[in-house]
Amino acid sequence: MGALKRLRPSTPFLLLLPAIVVLAAVVVVPLLLSFYSSFTPFRLTQPASLFNFVGFRNYGRILTDVEFWTAFGRTVLLLTVALNAEMLLGLGLAMLVEKATAGQRLLRTIMMFPMMFSPILVGFQFKFMFNDNIGLINNALQSLGLTDQAIPWLIDGTLAFWAIVVAEVWSSTSIFAILILAGLLAMPKEPIEAARVDGCTPWQTFRYVTWPFVMPFAYIAMTIRSLDVARAYDIVKIMTDGGPAKRTELLWTLISRTAYADARMGLANAMAYFAIFLSILFTVYFFRKLAAARTQIGAEW
Amino acid sequence: MATVSLQKLVKRYGALEIVHGIDLEVADREFIALVGPSGCGKSTTLRMIAGLEPISGGNLKIGGRIVNDLPPRARNISMVFQSYALYPHMTVRENMGFSLKIAGMKSEEIAPRVEEAARTLDLTHLLDRRPSQLSGGQRQRVAMGRAIVRNPDVFLFDEPLSNLDAKLRTQLRTEIKKLHAKVQSTVIYVTHDQVEAMTLADRIVIMRDGHIEQVGTPEEVFQRPASKFVAGFIGSPPMNLKDAEIADGRVVFVNGDSLPLPRRFADRVTAGRKVTFGLRPDDLYPAGHGIHSGQEADVHKADLRVSITEPLGNETLVFSEHGGAEWVGRMLNPRRLRAGETLPFCFDLSQAHLFDRETGRTLRG
Amino acid sequence: MNENAKARLAGNLLSLAHKLGLFIAMAIICLPGLWIVLASFRPTVEIMAKPPVWIPQDLSLDAYVAMFSGVGQGGIPVIDYFSNSLIVSITSTVISLAIGMAGGYAFARFRFRAKSSIFLGLMLTRTVPGIALSLPLFFVYSKLGIIDTHFGLILAYVALNVPFTIWLIDGFFRQVPKDLAEAAQIDGCTRWQAFWQVEFPLAGPGIASAGIFAFLTSWNEFALASQLTRSINSKTLPVGLLDYTAEFTIDWRGMCALAVVMIIPALVLTFIVQKHLVSGLTSGAVKG
Repeated sequence: MGALKRLRPSTPFLLLLPAIVVLAAVVVVPLLLSFYSSFTPFRLTQPASLFNFVGFRNYGRILTDVEFWTAFGRTVLLLTVALNAEMLLGLGLAMLVEKATAGQRLLRTIMMFPMMFSPILVGFQFKFMFNDNIGLINNALQSLGLTDQAIPWLIDGTLAFWAIVVAEVWSSTSIFAILILAGLLAMPKEPIEAARVDGCTPWQTFRYVTWPFVMPFAYIAMTIRSLDVARAYDIVKIMTDGGPAKRTELLWTLISRTAYADARMGLANAMAYFAIFLSILFTVYFFRKLAAARTQIGAEW
Repeated sequence: MATVSLQKLVKRYGALEIVHGIDLEVADREFIALVGPSGCGKSTTLRMIAGLEPISGGNLKIGGRIVNDLPPRARNISMVFQSYALYPHMTVRENMGFSLKIAGMKSEEIAPRVEEAARTLDLTHLLDRRPSQLSGGQRQRVAMGRAIVRNPDVFLFDEPLSNLDAKLRTQLRTEIKKLHAKVQSTVIYVTHDQVEAMTLADRIVIMRDGHIEQVGTPEEVFQRPASKFVAGFIGSPPMNLKDAEIADGRVVFVNGDSLPLPRRFADRVTAGRKVTFGLRPDDLYPAGHGIHSGQEADVHKADLRVSITEPLGNETLVFSEHGGAEWVGRMLNPRRLRAGETLPFCFDLSQAHLFDRETGRTLRG
Repeated sequence: MNENAKARLAGNLLSLAHKLGLFIAMAIICLPGLWIVLASFRPTVEIMAKPPVWIPQDLSLDAYVAMFSGVGQGGIPVIDYFSNSLIVSITSTVISLAIGMAGGYAFARFRFRAKSSIFLGLMLTRTVPGIALSLPLFFVYSKLGIIDTHFGLILAYVALNVPFTIWLIDGFFRQVPKDLAEAAQIDGCTRWQAFWQVEFPLAGPGIASAGIFAFLTSWNEFALASQLTRSINSKTLPVGLLDYTAEFTIDWRGMCALAVVMIIPALVLTFIVQKHLVSGLTSGAVKG
């Protein structure tokens, strides 16, 4: 009986089959191919180069490539700064909205606003606003008399980095805010009231009662974000395209340039594996956190 | 209408066995209650009968036909769920008619049957509402209506009253009883509430850890519990159960107190036997405040110190103490008692039970 | 001043600070979008004016007229881009929903071996950065000759959307009590019937919002589209946006107008689903 059952594919397997097939065809197989090509000096212009196996030469070159590691470090820095800022601002925004006595619906709707902006639009929008000549920001600063110069937001490397952070944070804070707000709304009121009666200050109530409950929701947001952190590519591509003079080059823009502008596919694929590895690391980490936080909540409430 | 028969029915989840080969014959039109503490396997058993859980071993017959591997729809059963499981997107009318619609019946045939069932359950005015607009008791009645509409061979109830408050529960208990008298079909009713089981069932099945402890009519399981477990489970407040040893024709308790060995056990147990002595609160009462069962010689008198009383109006539960052991008694025609008061109590030993301390099985006197 | 008056004053100040904070936050969220909408109605001279013109003097629909007036007259093939976007987004959404429903149902209703690892594995395919995926896809697609076709883009977007769709739909099916499907089976349904008669209608709104989410992802996607499309055969709106950028100049007004065209469908759809979206993502966060 048991043996017979094992021979037949199970229902959940059949249900998952289409998903597995599509993902294998469009993601896994091409990735294997790119994994192979990362061991070749493949250039799009020279198809034969695909069969010239060079071992770890591409990886070796990357390891000693200052330009690559600068971009890598900048990417990690951008993600760290942006994700932390998004988390904190999202939490703040969610709490502001939760406390609002009137117009909750309208506020929540506005809160979702940036979510529907394509990253490419976000990039364009901030490129427009940060434009040194006609941008809203410089215009405003000049009209208010705070400066009489045109601040080169997207031309100076450091300023451009922060301009990108601002765009990124603007576009993704709402995911955090929405999910954390959902957590705040789902939270039972009794524990908070009990904490207040027990003499907790508002900060203690938040720290020991509210935050542990809301944490899994923040992790859901983190996980979703980590699923497509590389969306930032679109924003950067439009705002600076890694420039000026590679001063805002991120991993993804570097890969794209190496592959298409320089046509060095093999090398670009090797670089891409670093980017993929980075993304997977982020996601697995937050999935773990999410699972842990869920069990903790389950035990406490 | 059909019999249901469970033959060595087993449920396993991987290596874990939940139901250990139980046997049960349910007669046609019989009302059977499965009771037991949570985790005893009663709901799993019901779900196997329903076809919602695969059967790991043994046979299940409904109406003489083996249905082990048939899906629920092929068993002609209906079930009332603890959560009622009403379809939230359908009106009461659609909920009740759903099974008939699935069976391919035409809507003009469905309508009279739904209305008939609605009349029986006094739901006619609610037919066009959605489940979310109903109270708990109404939802419960709709769930029953959905079950009777299709005229099944067997009704299955999975703790149908446990989400209701005490008053409604009593009321709906009566309705279920009336319903059974009216539709006259086989019922298997799972509950953890022994009062429900006692009041509703023709026979009660008491389950524990995946085994059947006893099957019997309410009178049987109350008066002649087959084991210490059944004795403690059935009856409220539960039977006084005290570990003891037999010596010199007396029952000697752990704290040194003793009672005469009830006469009907005189020739049955030998000295030195380790037993558990059981006496229902009904058979332990302050002198002059109880009914004894006739045999004066079997009534033993002793003084107990009252610790707590629970007045219930027509009677009072008296928690009293002797030698560190607590006994629960029942006082009819009660008068007010003070805590700390010492009273003469009657132990009606003709009603006492003895259980083997090792096996927990009853020693028949 | 007694204790009560102090506490009351502190409370009032706090409430004022709260209102102010809320106002500033909402302003920051809304301003960039509104600025673009405004700019799309203004003449280029006014956008470029130095010193800036704060109060719009001259609002017109010129940018939109120019955009739709076709190639060569300052316009771009926006109709083509729009219809490409629509075709690709809708088709890929429908397919991802079908696949996602099957997968989500499997995760919500069945217990099987290595369930959480499989789930994580599916999600991980989503983490592959679009640009990293576009390199091999570009190569494979060129070999297969499906570059610059609707089919190629649809296939890529289905793969992009399936993991997240499964996550969302899993959540929605979990919210439908298991009892209901069981009750339906007792009522005589097969498992298949029970699904379509009971579970599907109840999870329906949630599934619709998962669909809209998938639609938005496809609608807004750029990294893959920019490599896998070439011409008006398959170029979508986000790629088309780049038509307004030349080597050194940008037609700000035109870009703003196209941005508005892009954002309107997204705006409408998001508002429709906002409630379900959140509940799908978070179901199970509390109950596990």
